[in-house]
Amino acid sequence: MKKKIFLSAFIASSLFADAELDAMKKQLEQQKIITQKLETKLDILTKKVDSKVENVNTSSSFSQNAYLPDIALILNMSAVSRDMKNSDYEKLSIPGFIDEGEMHLPFNKNRGFNLNYAEVAMHSVVDPYFEAFAMFHLHPDEFEIGEAYVQTTALPYGLRVKAGKFKSNFGRENAKHQHSWHFDAQPIIYKALFGPDSISDAGIQVQYIVPTDDYLMLGLEAMQGTNDRSFGDTDANNLYVGYVKSSVDVGDDLSILGGLSLAHGTNTTHHKTDIYGVDLTLRNQFGSYSSLMWQSEFLQRDKDIGSQTTKQAGLYSEMVYQYNNNYSAGIRYDAITKNSDANNLTKYTTMVEFKPFPMSRLRLSYSYDKTKELNGERESINEVMLTLNIAAGAHGAHDY
Amino acid sequence: MKKIILSIFLLSVVLFADVKIDTTYSTLGVIAQKIGKDKVSVTVLGSNKYDPHFIVPKPSLLSKLRRADLLIINGGGLELGWLPPLIRSANNANIQNGAKGFLDISHFIPMIDVPTSVSRAFGDVHSQGNPHYSTDPHLVLNIAKAIESKLEELDADNVSYYQQNLDDFTKEWSSYLTKLDSKMSECKVQKVVQYHELFNYFLKRYNIKNYGNIEPLPGIAPSSKHTIKLITMMRKNHIKRILQDVYHEKKTAKFIASKTDAKVVIIPHDKGATGGKTLQEFYSNIADKICQ
Repeated sequence: MKKKIFLSAFIASSLFADAELDAMKKQLEQQKIITQKLETKLDILTKKVDSKVENVNTSSSFSQNAYLPDIALILNMSAVSRDMKNSDYEKLSIPGFIDEGEMHLPFNKNRGFNLNYAEVAMHSVVDPYFEAFAMFHLHPDEFEIGEAYVQTTALPYGLRVKAGKFKSNFGRENAKHQHSWHFDAQPIIYKALFGPDSISDAGIQVQYIVPTDDYLMLGLEAMQGTNDRSFGDTDANNLYVGYVKSSVDVGDDLSILGGLSLAHGTNTTHHKTDIYGVDLTLRNQFGSYSSLMWQSEFLQRDKDIGSQTTKQAGLYSEMVYQYNNNYSAGIRYDAITKNSDANNLTKYTTMVEFKPFPMSRLRLSYSYDKTKELNGERESINEVMLTLNIAAGAHGAHDY
Repeated sequence: MKKIILSIFLLSVVLFADVKIDTTYSTLGVIAQKIGKDKVSVTVLGSNKYDPHFIVPKPSLLSKLRRADLLIINGGGLELGWLPPLIRSANNANIQNGAKGFLDISHFIPMIDVPTSVSRAFGDVHSQGNPHYSTDPHLVLNIAKAIESKLEELDADNVSYYQQNLDDFTKEWSSYLTKLDSKMSECKVQKVVQYHELFNYFLKRYNIKNYGNIEPLPGIAPSSKHTIKLITMMRKNHIKRILQDVYHEKKTAKFIASKTDAKVVIIPHDKGATGGKTLQEFYSNIADKICQ
């Protein structure tokens, strides 16, 4: 009861206070109007009408600075020591896949020093419906549009469409840029089937995320199919890629991501090529900065060249231990498992990495490569390499 | 068959009638739950045992973001290193930056330590200011109000419900703050150092001075040169408290403590990081650990 009385008294008093306040506000308004009227009268009387309007801001009328895209500069360079002359290294081949002199070695080609590339990466929101990305890949003597595409941000039902030139989401490694790989060299099976750019083409991509508790994503891509190692029929667009990816977590720390991929296209002999891929990645966190990651992929190609269908396959498996924010180390095993000559086509790589800050990285690696041939003779190549990679400017975070 | 499909559809409508909220961190999650109660279901994306700057962008987070009606972020650049690629790949139009279901709480917070110039030469500096505002218990009401207005906008049918919850929570929290403030007024510790500038908002609120950080620059691991400087400074100023978070290495703090006679205390940076389920436990824990 007491409470009620108190409360009503309180309300009443606050109501009164409000009424008083309103009255005062009204009075003030009236006073203002009177003052203004008097001022105008005075101005007219004294004939001192001021025609000047005061400047309150000085914005540049057509400035668009606020809409500048995020721009980053990515530099990659290396010092290489190798037990093979540069002239021989350029003539290498992979038996059954790449003929002599067709290797295309964009990265770390020379014994001694290499500036691999300077990339300019741009990203910008276009409007409420699209985002745009571009990766301009600049070699010392070449300009290349690595990727340039738009993708949707506002489609319903868990859908997203991407169009332009882009890296296919086939498998695990294909869509990643060289600077985000765990090892400097491309996995041998990727190099053998696709060459240095992997599956990267003009085309269109649709991805759908199923609304389930665990991650399940389906994707379809239609691409030009210009990659002549596996596709390359120039009569029409010829490449279709499909994949399903799924991921589950075991507790807070362990995540497992797996995928199945298929690329179906037409090769330079106007016959069909099918490539199947299986990938599996496990990553366990030991706290915020330490983790163990194990990533493996197996790819098989059935290439119909008219007279026969060649079946070739290979895999890589890599494990990286992140000790803390600054240091990590890893090993990778590469192998061609099915080929006209699959005998002992393997490569072993090991690396240690030092990152003073997330934007810079020094990596020392050693590799022993037995997948190459020179003038019909099998070769073993030892290589020690130190690479420096930096990403300066506004460079976004990477995917998982 | 039609019936089955229809009933599945209806069931899913009933099951998912709640506003599905994803929050990037636990403190935001528990406040959202206080305001939304039974009308919302809250999922926290970043585990409170990890460094909030470096949450692993696991694909499982994509399936959570895919179905969210509302994404509540801390903002101030704290999620910059992990969230943008997830939002991009979650294929959910509702929660894109600028959409109705995207709420950046830092827009409702008076940020402190806003740098006058920004360069990565100064380490991982956030241009918007120090993003670790959720350690200040007085800012909880700003967060609650921002979430309440957003829920009103998204779920117009339950406006009075959310308002009521906010009123209840405001009362509960105000009386807690009175208690906490009076407890803190008796706190004898007035000088501290910390690992990262995580607790500046709490320290500023209660006039505790931070004399330095164990990391030489934000996001850069301790160096011996910097550590020795810090020890000298702590001895000179008689600093006896080192605030350590749960996720950084603790060796350096312990080493400094052994040289200065100071005490290392492990302070939660997010609700539940050192145990305790409630918001009050979180802030009381910070207060107790600093003042004990």
